[in-house]
Amino acid sequence: MAEETVDVLIIGAGASGAAFAWSLADTRMNILCLEQGDWMDPSRYPSAGMDWDLRGHGDFALSPNDRKRPADYPVNDAGSPIKPAMFNAVGGSTITYAAHFPRFHPSDFRTRTVDGVGDDWPLDWARLEPFYALNERMMGVAGLAGDPAYPPKQLPLPPVPLGRLGETVARGFNQLGWHWWPSDSAIATQPYEGRAACLNLGPCLTGCAQGAKASTDVTYWPVAMRAGVKLRTGCRVREILVREDGLADGVVYYDADGVERRQRAEIVVLACNGIGTPRLLLNSRSGLFPDGLANRSGLVGRNLMFHPYAMVIGVFAERLDGTQGPTGCGLMSHEFYESDCSRGFLRGYSFELMRGVGPVTTAMLGGQGGWLPWGAGHHAAFGAVFDHTAGLLAICEDLPEPHNRVTLDPELVDSHGIPAPRVEYRLGENSSRMLAHGAARAKEALEAAGAKLVITEAPMRVAGWHLMGTARMGTDPERSVVNEWGRCHDVRNLFIIDGSVFVTAGAVNPTNTIQALALHAADTLKRNLGELFD
Amino acid sequence: MGEASGDDLRSTLASVLDELLPARDDGRLPGAGSLGLAEAVEAATGASALRPAIAAALASLAAEGFPSLSQPERLARLQALAKQSPEVFQALLSRAYGAYYTHPSVVAALGLPPRPPFPKGYDVPATDFSVLDPVRRRAKLYRDC
Repeated sequence: MAEETVDVLIIGAGASGAAFAWSLADTRMNILCLEQGDWMDPSRYPSAGMDWDLRGHGDFALSPNDRKRPADYPVNDAGSPIKPAMFNAVGGSTITYAAHFPRFHPSDFRTRTVDGVGDDWPLDWARLEPFYALNERMMGVAGLAGDPAYPPKQLPLPPVPLGRLGETVARGFNQLGWHWWPSDSAIATQPYEGRAACLNLGPCLTGCAQGAKASTDVTYWPVAMRAGVKLRTGCRVREILVREDGLADGVVYYDADGVERRQRAEIVVLACNGIGTPRLLLNSRSGLFPDGLANRSGLVGRNLMFHPYAMVIGVFAERLDGTQGPTGCGLMSHEFYESDCSRGFLRGYSFELMRGVGPVTTAMLGGQGGWLPWGAGHHAAFGAVFDHTAGLLAICEDLPEPHNRVTLDPELVDSHGIPAPRVEYRLGENSSRMLAHGAARAKEALEAAGAKLVITEAPMRVAGWHLMGTARMGTDPERSVVNEWGRCHDVRNLFIIDGSVFVTAGAVNPTNTIQALALHAADTLKRNLGELFD
Repeated sequence: MGEASGDDLRSTLASVLDELLPARDDGRLPGAGSLGLAEAVEAATGASALRPAIAAALASLAAEGFPSLSQPERLARLQALAKQSPEVFQALLSRAYGAYYTHPSVVAALGLPPRPPFPKGYDVPATDFSVLDPVRRRAKLYRDC
């Protein structure tokens, strides 16, 4: 059934789609977003039940392959040591992210120039800075001014408290003379813009029942919808259609009842993450684009970057109250962020504090790691570890490598029969050296803080949270898919605004940068509306 | 769990759970079977693709009179199961952990409030950020580009 033509059709209601929709709303254009998931009900998030810790291994598991919610699609990740993690709902993966919300460094946009690796971005830090600031106001970011790891910035909310656990680890960093700083956190530490203040519930990775964490279903979307943006849930897009003149014409999608529909649009915007976006482009083949839409460069799906994580857990003699407070927001360290050739690799990594885990997760990790027996010795081993742990995550900058890629699986399909993505990824030599360095330095920091035992997993298998690079931006259509404001070189009314457009990965969680780029893209689009199709 | 719903299978499962997660020596934590978690473990197994294999393993243990065996014999049977069918054993163990460590009495014995985190949450004291003074004195760590 044909429907009305909208001015702007956004595919995906996660971090970037929400920010973009909000920014564009003041144009009064007819804007529609299609989202394959649904609205989440915060009253049913795990933290509202006794099984809060258990559900993180079930219907809130990190991998869609384990979670298997109706909105999820499968990912063939057998060819990757790091398993992609994502969430499909209004709010996307901000529903389940840690809300650790730092900016990139200025050097992250100039890696080729300053370090001779990766590629330079077609825009710089100064151009993006106002959009970082705007995004931090919209999301409500907590932090402390004065961090020597960054150019000056002012965040709207005071920082998340460190708690006993964070203060213990901070002492270790101080003893070593290493940089650390309270995390920039997209968490309302005070009531903010209608959101209640954080209650230190703990399990942020399974949704925030309090609504203090800035998932976009509680930040951008309510404002955008009040301004007239329409959001249609349960709608999974199969392919993007193109006209004879090569412009995008709209999409074919399946609605919440499974009925195939067509939605026409003047402008189509992809906000489906670094795996979902190349998947959709590669599923949109036509006579004009036989290798996938906007893929004349052959780069759609290539240069997939994760942040390889080293997870290093220290076991302390004393209890640390580790289940209290935002699990992934406490402190960060950028001591090893910028390049130092003497380390044996280029670029760098950051540390993010990981608070303690719940009893179920302690037991599961212990069983998997082989350090927790069942039977007679169980309670003694469990008691020595539970609530006695603090973790450091080394978030390593991956470099773009064309062989790391997303393709279409020849057999695997989703619940609508749409070909599923396949991920082929192997750790590069630079990333491997960086991981080893990060794991060793994390151990040093935790031991300085008093840890009696240190447990390491590197790369952290389930930590494929950050999906970047698979439709990179650039000025050269032969070497990039989109320009500096997300417009496809091959299809002038098709835009990409998610992490796919990253040229390099930085060494911090990417959501703030993804949203700043989306706001920049929307702002530039608005300023160019008059001659968009000239 | 199909066949595992009979009394013999239920008592076998309870006995297995007491071997996997026995009572703590100080008596503050009961064994998982004594806590009555067999039903919860059965329910958690219901949706698993391994359900028939778990049921078959329990039926085999029941046929050997598992609850009546001596403790060393029960331990040997479970060690054999772990070796011969590691996937089945791990599935059973992870469900035992899930049921045990969400039970209010176990949670309380671990020193946590026996309630969900929401809506009461937790008080975390404000941080005195004078601890950052050495870091504040450092030169900038980023590069201008």
